[in-house]
Amino acid sequence: MHPIDLTVVLVYVALITFVGLRLSQQVKSARDFFLAGRSLTWWVIGLSIIGTNVDTNGYIGASGNAYSIGIAQANFEWIGAIPAMIIASLIFIPLYWRAGVYSIAEYLGLRYNQAVRVIAATIVTTVSVFAMGVAMWALAITLQTFIGWPIWLGILVSGTVVGLYSISGGLGAVAITDSIQVCIMFACGLIIVAIGIQDAGGTGSFISKLTAENPTHLQAYLPADHDGYPWHGVILGLGLVLSPAYWVGGQAILQRTLGARSQWDASAGMMFAAVAKTFVPLLIVFPGLLALVMMADIEYPDMALPWVIKNVLPVGVSGLMFVAIIAALQSSIDSSINSTALMITRDIRHVLIKNHNPESDLKIGRFLTLGLLLAAMTIAPYIGDLGGIFNFLQFLLSLFQGPMLALLLLGALSKRATATAGICTLVSGVALAGLLSVVIELNLLYVAFFTFCYALPTLWIISGFTQPHSDEYLQNLTYSPWSDR
Amino acid sequence: MDLPVAWANPISMLLFVILGVAVWSIPKSVLVPPEFAHQSWRDLRWWATGLILFQIMLYGYFS
Repeated sequence: MHPIDLTVVLVYVALITFVGLRLSQQVKSARDFFLAGRSLTWWVIGLSIIGTNVDTNGYIGASGNAYSIGIAQANFEWIGAIPAMIIASLIFIPLYWRAGVYSIAEYLGLRYNQAVRVIAATIVTTVSVFAMGVAMWALAITLQTFIGWPIWLGILVSGTVVGLYSISGGLGAVAITDSIQVCIMFACGLIIVAIGIQDAGGTGSFISKLTAENPTHLQAYLPADHDGYPWHGVILGLGLVLSPAYWVGGQAILQRTLGARSQWDASAGMMFAAVAKTFVPLLIVFPGLLALVMMADIEYPDMALPWVIKNVLPVGVSGLMFVAIIAALQSSIDSSINSTALMITRDIRHVLIKNHNPESDLKIGRFLTLGLLLAAMTIAPYIGDLGGIFNFLQFLLSLFQGPMLALLLLGALSKRATATAGICTLVSGVALAGLLSVVIELNLLYVAFFTFCYALPTLWIISGFTQPHSDEYLQNLTYSPWSDR
Repeated sequence: MDLPVAWANPISMLLFVILGVAVWSIPKSVLVPPEFAHQSWRDLRWWATGLILFQIMLYGYFS
């Protein structure tokens, strides 16, 4: 790595550590630690959401996918995100705010019962620990590729930097550092676009060079018989089920909106994130297309972004781009650690240990943050060997999405859904998802859609035969803006 | 399941139009606190509308 690039990286690490530690002085209670003392403004929330959302797969994997399938990769940022983000902003975030909860699992516990809360928190927590290990491993691989650090050193240094501000500063430090990281990511993305278009001889020339050899690379959808991303699977599975489940029920994403200084800031934060999300393809899809236009000599698609950094960007900017990749990884790891610590502290510990002391939540939260970080750092070097387990956990999470979205939708928008129906639907929906994916070997996009289609009427019908909560109890737990005229 | 890919973009655009109608059926009073009622930029329905129109343009262009 060039000395100027190395200087850029060191300045970034020092800046993030300084800002994070400075913010830690404001943490006095568990509310400060997990919800930033409910002080976050809309633009910090929006940037932090994007920082949490764009991870390893987003940066390196999406560029590689764009190299292979073209602009269709942007569906994950457009129809696979924007509608759900608008719905989250205008309907679900106001609801969670009114309910006064710390987590989505806590909302489910109030709306249905504590069993649903613990099941939801346990599944998300288990997957998160492994996901953090993968992110840490990816970060170490990136450091090894660009600086030549051994894997163990990359894990140790990145874990220490993330730990310094996450353990002491909580959500406030995580959100502010995420915001800085996203600004760096966008600055680098725009520089790549500008240099790429210029090198290609202008926008018209870029498009004609791209489509000359790859005529479908500027088409948003792929044919129905495509193995990975058939167009109706993308609209039905991704757009209507997986994306809403992520944006309406994802704890790491929504936690910063629960830490907003007002309900309006919370909703506006998600809406601002949707505005930024619209332009994320410039960061993560364009480099893949650029590598194709510049006829990059790469062995496999995931090398597209590293090739662009090495061959297109000038000294100093390539260091900044390297920082942007580190930033994307760090912002996902720190958010996962904080939200997972919250779920263990409140959604599992508070329910299972009857004589818990809420005063000790801050101490336990910090202890858990450290523990989770160490667990992720310990797992990270072995993630290649644990690939099978991680894939299984990802598979488990995907089984959960359809039924969970049905529980959230019907629970939030109707007073009809009952606790008994919630448990029955969750268990039978996950079983059906397992059947569809293991026995019939259906694409996971369709599994999500069909289990959602099963869960929604099942929850509705069983609720008709079981005892609902009282209207008075549900007043702050259900939300129907159209009836408030 | 062998539906023509040419349907995909119009269906996406139609979904965004339906979303836009749903957004404008939410009363302003639910989304904007009374103290900010006179500040139009705080009406998140306009933010959503801008986003939806831009998405429709994108799916119109990349068809």
